[in-house]
Amino acid sequence: MTREASDVMTATEAASTPDIELLLPARAENVAIVRHALGALGEVLALDEQTLSDIRLAVTEACTNVVVHAYPNGEEGPLEVLATLGEEDLTVVVRDEGGGISPRRDSPGLGLGLPLIASLAENVQLGHDAQKRTEVRMTFLLSALAEP
Amino acid sequence: MTEEMRSETSLRLANGPLAGPVLCRVVSMVLARADCPVDRLDDALLACEEIATHGPGFVADGHLSVTLRTGRDRLELRVGELTEQGAEGMLSAAIVPGVGNVLERVSDELRVEPGRDGGVGELVLRIGFRTAGAGSGDGRAA
Repeated sequence: MTREASDVMTATEAASTPDIELLLPARAENVAIVRHALGALGEVLALDEQTLSDIRLAVTEACTNVVVHAYPNGEEGPLEVLATLGEEDLTVVVRDEGGGISPRRDSPGLGLGLPLIASLAENVQLGHDAQKRTEVRMTFLLSALAEP
Repeated sequence: MTEEMRSETSLRLANGPLAGPVLCRVVSMVLARADCPVDRLDDALLACEEIATHGPGFVADGHLSVTLRTGRDRLELRVGELTEQGAEGMLSAAIVPGVGNVLERVSDELRVEPGRDGGVGELVLRIGFRTAGAGSGDGRAA
């Protein structure tokens, strides 16, 4: 899976306070914890199965990118997931302190992660926060969600 | 990343309906991975429900912060960003008539510590357990 460079966000775009913030070591087994947290969110919001599945898949891809690519050479670092519920949308930010998003010729994946995320989310932005941490910001439309 | 951080999961939850379900799901997953027996998992979830129910009334900024640390035989829950006397308030709120204090009953150790980031205080619960392969017993660590 290859991470590609794209537009860079400014700090002002990340202003709202998240409803859920999850910080954990960027390890493969911890991606399951993120999926379970999203499952709880889907339960409370009474999301339909397809919508929740899309959100979980997109966020899983973004988290897996962090685990596989953010910290090379066996280094360990944090994986941060923030979910903010808006009036009409849900924004999920996956953040790391790695070296940023760039093409990798030796990537172990097929390079399908970001295109998959882009196809599942209404909007995707790749960039950095004010502390220069790498972010993948995904927005999912609430109009696609079932009434709680 | 320190050794302590390697087994640490931090959650910061806005007050509201998401807090309880998200906290319980995350704790379930963390404890399942730690091979925690189901009776102590139930106890931990009971503690989480108490924290999610009463915590919002005692947090400083509208967000409940919970840090989870697992060891070989224990889960440590640190509930933070509490108001002054917030820890004491949470403990009082956890008293159920005829049962006693739920947080005290399910914890092997319960204490109040100063906040790590200069905050007023953290409520720290230690829930011990014997892993599935560690032989018989009542599930509580010494």
